[in-house]
Amino acid sequence: MGKRLDALMGRTKPIQANLDALFALPSAAITLQSAAGLTASGRAGVCYKPPTGQSFDDMQAEVMKLLAMEGGGTLSSSEDSYGYHWVVVENADAQALVTQVHLVNSSLSDAGWGPQLLCSVFGIGPAPEDADPADGPPAIIIPSTEYLVYLFKRGTFYPFVPDGKEHRSTDKEFKLKSLLANDLVIEQDLDRWFPLWDLPVG
Amino acid sequence: MSTARNIKSDRGLTIRMFTTGLLLVLLYGAVVGILIAVGISYVVVLVIAAALLFCQYWFSDKIALFGMGGHIVTPEQAPELHGVIDRLCALADMKKPRVAVADTDVPNAFATGRSPNNAVVCATAGLMRRLDEPELEAVLAHELSHVAHRDVAVMTIASFLGVVAGLVTRIMFWTGMMGGFGGNNRGGGNNNQGGDNAAMVEMMVLLVSVAVYAISFLLTRALSRYRELAADRSGALLTGQPSVLASALVKVTGEMSRIPTRDLRSAETFNAFYFTPALSSNNKNGGSGLSISSLFSTHPSLQTRLDQLAKIEAELGRPA
Repeated sequence: MGKRLDALMGRTKPIQANLDALFALPSAAITLQSAAGLTASGRAGVCYKPPTGQSFDDMQAEVMKLLAMEGGGTLSSSEDSYGYHWVVVENADAQALVTQVHLVNSSLSDAGWGPQLLCSVFGIGPAPEDADPADGPPAIIIPSTEYLVYLFKRGTFYPFVPDGKEHRSTDKEFKLKSLLANDLVIEQDLDRWFPLWDLPVG
Repeated sequence: MSTARNIKSDRGLTIRMFTTGLLLVLLYGAVVGILIAVGISYVVVLVIAAALLFCQYWFSDKIALFGMGGHIVTPEQAPELHGVIDRLCALADMKKPRVAVADTDVPNAFATGRSPNNAVVCATAGLMRRLDEPELEAVLAHELSHVAHRDVAVMTIASFLGVVAGLVTRIMFWTGMMGGFGGNNRGGGNNNQGGDNAAMVEMMVLLVSVAVYAISFLLTRALSRYRELAADRSGALLTGQPSVLASALVKVTGEMSRIPTRDLRSAETFNAFYFTPALSSNNKNGGSGLSISSLFSTHPSLQTRLDQLAKIEAELGRPA
């Protein structure tokens, strides 16, 4: 009944995302390393649909400035073939990387542009042979082979493992899902695990 | 914390939609009241109407796809289309509907289905050929808004009155023709007075049904126009690019005038479903709001839609 009333009256309650879920990533990284020999690749990206207008452009410039001041690392931005904007961060310090991604998301959201945010993507790659999980995540930047996608609107994660041009390795995705079920809030609705081909997060 | 920024809700549009809906409900009440007062087997009428309407609503996706020659496509068959819809649904936090393509060169798109869980969004080959990707995305955002707003359900319920009134009208014609309006075949021929009264009542019901049908038709059309404007608005806010939707509208409407009349006529019957009404040249919708054809139209005029989009563009550009 509530949903039908919403339809008649116009939906009034927008979904509240839970950005704090991002801070569960470092512990997820530990699980990944000890259980699967994978680690954060040091690369992450935030994807949003830039709306028209000078007001957004100005805010976007400010966010980029803030990011640069925040934790080091390399920043870049690009636009993908669907017209969505990516802010890509490379930072060997995994904790700082998560903080920077959180910063972009929260700045946009606080400025009222939350609806434009699509997702954030974190790269994962094979941990170096000699890395010891007890030492914590290795501070390196490596090419990503697998990804964790954070859906801003849902506050959930899902794994994405591209395999070649437009093919997904679904079994690896399910493996990641079961591995991380205890650390992260994984998206239960498989329909929402949409593919992100041509990720600028290398 | 505001997430929709300082986009004010469009009070006027909301009020107009609400008033139209309210008037339709009042007419509902009037018709049912009349039927009961006259003692017609309104049960029969309502049962038939309800059954028809229910079928129309329940199978709306299959009916629409069949009518427009659309077929469901998989992500492998139409990767870009699926990709655009994937992202729009993630942006809107809605369940992804099934995706279909219709093999006609008439550029258009529609959304159908009884609920967001059973929805289909269809784009024609003609649309995908003519629009560039941002414009296609804007049109799909408009269609997804229809799904999210449950417009199929809303318009079906709204048109219920028209269906009932139409049925009553027809039943009255049949019984009128069979029974004769002078009460000739009534039992007890010496009671002519009673016979005339019955005939008068029948005529009244007939006239009222016709009037109700006409009014409900106009109101339903008005509601359809407002829902279209609401979908334009939602779609534009979803992508944050009202001018791209405006450009798609202009392109599609412009293309319509160049399409051979024969193709358009076959598309016209399904206008209520479409993104832009498929109007052939001798049925062109006028520019201003009050012509007869605009009262009958399922969609607002191009200028009205462009004006609304321009307003949204200005609102988005305003500093916080």
